[in-house]
Amino acid sequence: MIQITDLHKFFGTNEVLKGISLNVTAGEVLCIIGPSGSGKSTILRCINGLESYDSGQIRIEDHLVDRENKNIYWIRTHVSMVFQRFNLFPHRTALENVIEGPIYVKKENRKTALERGRSLLQQVGLANKENVYPSQLSGGQMQRVAIARALAMEPKAILFDEPTSALDPELVGEVLSVMQNLAKQGMTMLVVTHEMGFAKEVADRVIFADNGIVVEEGLPSELLTNPKHDRTRDFLKRVMHG
Amino acid sequence: MGGSFWHDAVEFAPILIKGAEITLLVTLSALILSTVLGLFWALLRVSRNKFLSWVSAGFVNTIRGIPILVQLFYIYFVLPEIGIDLTAFQAGAIGLGIAYSAYMSEVFRAGIEAIGVGQIEAAQSIGMTRSLIMRRVILPQALNIALPPYGNNLIMLLKDSSQTSAITVAELSLQSKLIAASTFKNMTVFTLGAIGYLVMSLPLILVVSRLEKRFKSK
Repeated sequence: MIQITDLHKFFGTNEVLKGISLNVTAGEVLCIIGPSGSGKSTILRCINGLESYDSGQIRIEDHLVDRENKNIYWIRTHVSMVFQRFNLFPHRTALENVIEGPIYVKKENRKTALERGRSLLQQVGLANKENVYPSQLSGGQMQRVAIARALAMEPKAILFDEPTSALDPELVGEVLSVMQNLAKQGMTMLVVTHEMGFAKEVADRVIFADNGIVVEEGLPSELLTNPKHDRTRDFLKRVMHG
Repeated sequence: MGGSFWHDAVEFAPILIKGAEITLLVTLSALILSTVLGLFWALLRVSRNKFLSWVSAGFVNTIRGIPILVQLFYIYFVLPEIGIDLTAFQAGAIGLGIAYSAYMSEVFRAGIEAIGVGQIEAAQSIGMTRSLIMRRVILPQALNIALPPYGNNLIMLLKDSSQTSAITVAELSLQSKLIAASTFKNMTVFTLGAIGYLVMSLPLILVVSRLEKRFKSK
């Protein structure tokens, strides 16, 4: 469903993506792991056009991703994103955050949007927080609202950009379990993460990216326990001990 | 002062209150004009179109660089020469409104630029267009941030409305001057005039400091 072919991206003269190719099929959970600065987040940001890319191709089903083209709005309403720093709208309540897209972008009827918004908040375990502003929520709760906001668009896929990296350790679990439930329901998910436990348990496939290329990909059971490449092995050793 | 002060105060009060009414009217008219225009300049300034942004910056800097008094003279005395006749009140309200639109636009721009890129990306990621992002995400937050400095500008505007006396707007300071000139009771009249301004500005000052506190505690 998401096809990336030979993706190249420069920041100035610095080439951060050096020919990335990967496919995500419908219903699949793909985790991207790798050291900081390896370009993992940039891949996600290119997929929904938050960043431009210099060469190669990204397709969502048969739509080419092109920030300069009007179809970028189609892409963004069909591929949602969850950010490391949540990026909830602080001037809107939890429920308003969730229904903002359905009402103002998808022009849904307010009543329908409210009903679905409430049920999504319930799904992420925050039914009692609908009228609370983000400043009064914990990091884990904010990220769960952000996931509900992403789901409210009824996307074909969700991109998760290090969704637990900004959280206190004791709050990571609640977010991961929401994501695990989503995976069980068959949501297509592309997850940049440092949570090896999550990758191992939930991912259908894992990709190790380093220095702008895909070094290795495979089943989590293989890649995480028995990596073929030295770089993968080094990385895993470091994160497992860290 | 003593007894004669109160006696005179009662005598002058109706005229001074009339003047204060004009002061409020000029201030309110200029506030509305400067808010609408200021927002317009700020939106031009942050637009992607380089030319529009440059036009806005040029206008704002020009206006900021010319004393309000000179702008008022210009509108009241020069415009009639090209066939635009305005009453003193109209010239005063429009002149102050344009002058303050420059200050208001800077306040709005600072608010808009204070909104983090994460907010914009979150809005983009749910498919919002630029104008929708501005309307639903940036402006509501930016205006909230801009409220305390906006209030401060309003207080300045209220006091600067006295400058319209130079183009014969019969507001509080001009009325004070006229009474003083005809009665020679300078101390009484100008004390009353000053009190009049304080009565109008103090509540605003209190509201603004409330807003600033609320903002800091966030």
